[in-house]
Amino acid sequence: MIKINNLSKIYTKGKNEVAALKDINLQVAKGDIYGIIGLSGAGKSSLIRCINRLEEPTTGDIYVNGINIVTLKDKELRSARKKMSMIFQNFNLLNSKTVFENIAFPLRLIKIPEQKIQEKATELLKLVELNDKSNSYPSQLSGGQKQRVGIARALASEPDVLLCDEATSALDPKTTHQILSLLKNINKQLGLTIVIITHEMDVIKEICNRVAILGGGYVLEKGNTIDIFSKPGNKTTKHFIEDQQKIPEKMLSGNILNLSFTDGSANIPIISKITREFNVDVNIVSGKIEYIQEKQIGKLTIQIDTDRHKLLDIIDYLNKNHVKAEVINHG
Amino acid sequence: MANIISLLIPSLQETLYMVFISTLLTVLFGLPLGIILVTSDENHILPNKSLNTILSWIINVTRSLPFIILIIFILPFTRWVVGTTIGTTAAIVPLVIAATPFFARIVETSIREVDWGVVEASISMGATPAQIIVRVLIPEAMSSLVLGITITLINIIGYSAMAGTVGGGGLGDLAFRYGYQRFQNDVMFATIIVLIILVQTIQSFGNHLAQKINKN
Ligand SMILES: Nc1ncnc2c1ncn2[C@@H]1O[C@H](COP(=O)(O)OP(=O)(O)OP(=O)(O)O)[C@@H](O)[C@H]1O
Ligand SMILES: [Mg+2]
Repeated sequence: MIKINNLSKIYTKGKNEVAALKDINLQVAKGDIYGIIGLSGAGKSSLIRCINRLEEPTTGDIYVNGINIVTLKDKELRSARKKMSMIFQNFNLLNSKTVFENIAFPLRLIKIPEQKIQEKATELLKLVELNDKSNSYPSQLSGGQKQRVGIARALASEPDVLLCDEATSALDPKTTHQILSLLKNINKQLGLTIVIITHEMDVIKEICNRVAILGGGYVLEKGNTIDIFSKPGNKTTKHFIEDQQKIPEKMLSGNILNLSFTDGSANIPIISKITREFNVDVNIVSGKIEYIQEKQIGKLTIQIDTDRHKLLDIIDYLNKNHVKAEVINHG
Repeated sequence: MANIISLLIPSLQETLYMVFISTLLTVLFGLPLGIILVTSDENHILPNKSLNTILSWIINVTRSLPFIILIIFILPFTRWVVGTTIGTTAAIVPLVIAATPFFARIVETSIREVDWGVVEASISMGATPAQIIVRVLIPEAMSSLVLGITITLINIIGYSAMAGTVGGGGLGDLAFRYGYQRFQNDVMFATIIVLIILVQTIQSFGNHLAQKINKN
């Protein structure tokens, strides 16, 4: 659906150059909800804005539905844009127009009969559950309602792709959840491909089937969300992947292991098996179970009193049982 | 009293005629100029650096001319347009030329206030620059534009009094002829009162309308 090849973006202001994106390669399949996550300044916005050319890519190609967006002339670019809508962190609604007219806006840009516009806008109002707000103005809406209008407006032109730039970052957790469910429904019902930019891990966990981690303008990691989360992160991606829980320094003595369990291994009583088979004491430091799109991933931090040789055997044993293990401290 | 009123009525009519026709033409010319000033900017929807620089320069030059000098300076042009340099209709020409750059700057400020995010949203929806101007920039700036027109209108009333003294007629002319040249202070006061009422009415009406349009 979207194929990004060797994309780079350099901002030039006078003599200053900022390389915001460096050699990005990504593929988004039809029907994906593709999450792009990274710290502030990682280049997330630059990346998503290159896709509809709100920013001009410096080098590289971006294919959307087989069409290279980068080489399009003004007129073709405008029609390509109608097939990929965008929603924004600040909603960007027209304050002078009612909710209904905001949703009808993209339809009024193309010459279609008034009756069709009425039908389509009414249908979209229903989809985002704002029938009763049809004649309200954006200033009379809550943040969540504004974003619903943003979503309905984005869907009006019946796009193939929905680009979301921090669409939930201005919303509270509960509203975020509602908006994400709405996006997920749309993805299922309409088969819409969605690209989501966020700095919140929870957004990715909740709805993205695939994820790319961006840092310093590079793609640091990409793949299925569940895979990325179940394997221990490297230095640069750890920040996002690992749970927030910090283990106090003084607890980090002896052999400390981080374990992660996925579907295949969550049901095995692995700890009691280790204690029995290797005759060691296992001390649980912390643990939790996370849900990533209804699949569970167990995260457990344990302390084992044993020598190095046995430790390697234990790790081996864990891996055989589909439990990923990472030593974070050697005793 | 009846005497004063019979003097005032025709002068008021002349003023209203001059002011409203001038305002109409000023808006007609100034609005597009103000929009061009914004949209031809480097990072806007129709970037055109040389047009922007030239337009901005012309506007600044026109605005730096004192009005009374401008009237005299453009006399040949006025004659060419209306066939004469004297009278109410002839006064409209310098009024429009003086007020248009002023109004264009006001339009520029109003249009710049429109949230760039909204413009980007419409670009992302595939809107053409013309559609963005007509369907986004103008409607979003409308409330502020109405206030701008109100200010311009009141400014033109002030200018029209000056134009009156050089043969344009209207209230300014009346006050000047009776108050200054014939020392009939009652006529001058009556004129001032009419002007105050006129300005107040226009300002309140403009405020009210702007408030009504504003949906923020
Ligand atoms: N218009 C611009 N001109 C110059 N530099 C820019 C511009 N936009 C972004 N940058 C720079 O490019 C880099 C990436 O910015 P970008 O906005 O893409 O990051 P981001 O990941 O979206 O960050 P955030 O989470 O804060 O929104 C930053 O160093 C930023 O300063
Ligand atoms: Mg950003």
